[in-house]
Amino acid sequence: MIKNAGLWIGLLFVGFSGTIFFGAFEYAYYGDYGPGPGLLPRWLGGSLFLLSILFIIDSVRNGAIDIRKLLPQGRGLKKVGAVFIALFLFLVVVPYVGYTLASVLMLFILFMGGYKWYSSLFFALCVSFTVFYIFKYLLSVPLPVNSLGI
Amino acid sequence: MEGLVEGIATAFTLNNLFFCLIGVTFGMLVGILPGLGPSAGTAVLLPLTFGMEPVSAIIMLSGIYYGAMYGGTITSVLINTPGEAASSITCIDGYPMAQQGRAGVALGVAGIGSFIGGTISIIGLALIGPPLARLALKFGPPEFFALMVLGMTMVIGLMGKSLLRGLIGALIGLNLALIGMDPMTGMVRYSFGFEQLEGGLDFVPLVMGLFGLSEILLSVEDELKAETPPKVKGLFPRRDEWPGVLAAIIRGTGIGFVLGLFPGTNSVIPTIMSYSVEKKFAKDPSRFGHGAIEGVAGPETANNAYCGAALIPLFTLGIPSSPTIAILLGAFIMHGLTPGPQLFQKNPEFVWAVIASMFIGNAILLFMNLPMAGFWAKMLMIPYKLLFPIVIAVAIVGSYSVNNSMFEVGAMIVFGIVGYVFKKMEIPLAPVVLTFVLGRIMEDALLQSLIIYRGNFFGLFTRPLAGSLLWLAIIIFALSLWAGIKHKKDSLASDVEM
Repeated sequence: MIKNAGLWIGLLFVGFSGTIFFGAFEYAYYGDYGPGPGLLPRWLGGSLFLLSILFIIDSVRNGAIDIRKLLPQGRGLKKVGAVFIALFLFLVVVPYVGYTLASVLMLFILFMGGYKWYSSLFFALCVSFTVFYIFKYLLSVPLPVNSLGI
Repeated sequence: MEGLVEGIATAFTLNNLFFCLIGVTFGMLVGILPGLGPSAGTAVLLPLTFGMEPVSAIIMLSGIYYGAMYGGTITSVLINTPGEAASSITCIDGYPMAQQGRAGVALGVAGIGSFIGGTISIIGLALIGPPLARLALKFGPPEFFALMVLGMTMVIGLMGKSLLRGLIGALIGLNLALIGMDPMTGMVRYSFGFEQLEGGLDFVPLVMGLFGLSEILLSVEDELKAETPPKVKGLFPRRDEWPGVLAAIIRGTGIGFVLGLFPGTNSVIPTIMSYSVEKKFAKDPSRFGHGAIEGVAGPETANNAYCGAALIPLFTLGIPSSPTIAILLGAFIMHGLTPGPQLFQKNPEFVWAVIASMFIGNAILLFMNLPMAGFWAKMLMIPYKLLFPIVIAVAIVGSYSVNNSMFEVGAMIVFGIVGYVFKKMEIPLAPVVLTFVLGRIMEDALLQSLIIYRGNFFGLFTRPLAGSLLWLAIIIFALSLWAGIKHKKDSLASDVEM
């Protein structure tokens, strides 16, 4: 049962819906002028809470989904892992080095999965600067920059 | 009439013609390139429209939507891999035609059928839209609430393999829509101290993550490879094939158009119906599966007719019928427009400009597909390992540009993981997005209705139209439940339009 992905996902649903449902009691259900901010959250959170429990029961009784099917395996795990590492690094370094350098780092990791390091670096530089130019200058999006303005 | 003339003039301005061309070209690319469907493509490209005039933005985004339907055909015919879900059925006869050296003819009839189906459905939108919008103007909050409930029930009932999973998806969307300000009192709910959540979760990172990033993660895991397509020669069928092709196109148009009017009927359903109808009408059904030209013409026409007709509920009632249409609805709202009956009244030149641009877009797509089919086929050779980092880079900047904050980028990544897990768990994403988009409007309508009936929900059942719609929703829900219990639910209507 511990390897049943349905159980774990169901528990996450229970956690989410429980937060909405029990949090709804902090808001008025009905006020002097009509329905309060807690009315819909109680019904919607409560309904999702019940369905989440049904989901767990269903996944335990009618065919467990092996958690290994949910997570990537072998080469797939490496590739998906590389995407997450690249995205995480981007989020961490962007406030310090600006968009373009953070993007070069992220894209370099992503391209490395399919190309040699020098091609990856070349593609990463081209894509980062092109995207930066399009959004910063053509679409006027104020991207985060470093002291060099990139 | 004045709006119609103004709208046509707006659509024909150089600026809007350019954005229409850009939109359909992106649409073709989205349809052709692996790992990107119309929903993901429209979501990722949505931020590009932020600085545009609303009319140009919607013209471009609609172009992506219907352009993808044309593009998806090319991969189905040439490499037996549908570029988007609606073209899946085209593989059955399109690919055998390509193996027989008739790839050009398959693409030709698909292009002609798509053009006819798309054009007729847009005429339908132009004819049915205004009277339906006038009728909907008489609706009060209870009618709108009931209509949205009906739409959601149909989406939940028809999409996905399990009613339980569909319901969970829908309720997750509705619960996410609760985050932010309460429409009646203005009280902030569930912001957990994040000021970025005080105005509610933003739509763009949500759809980009659920449809865009999740699709990329799955494609990266499956290691999609570039394909070398066969040569495309000849575009028109033989003279003796024309009557059958035209009949299939006419039937496909009818099926696609009618089904497009109903929320929840994704674009795969009309293609399946059209294919089975063609097989039934055929003198020799054994040809199907071995390169029957009607098996390409009918479904391809049906999915494009569906696309135009599916815009009718959006334009007239403000109700999206599929995830891509929900993204369009989000784009309307972001650009300060409210889809629904008042759109025809308040912004007639906008509506007619978008409709006119669709005629233009379909004509451009016909040209792109007939003489240039060979060129588009070469796009299949772009390796996915080169493509996906570029899409991620654009998605990141797109999410950032919503509020110029990295919070949205983080939200996109979180929803990317959610989408990835949901797809693996077979929890349909369409109800999540549709209910999230409709959630706030629905809460508004419900709360206003409750004020009218002094908190008595059952008062809604006393209004003839609202009551009938709610009863219809209950019946559909009960039927879905019964079908689910009996295991008779059609698995073909699974979560599509990714």
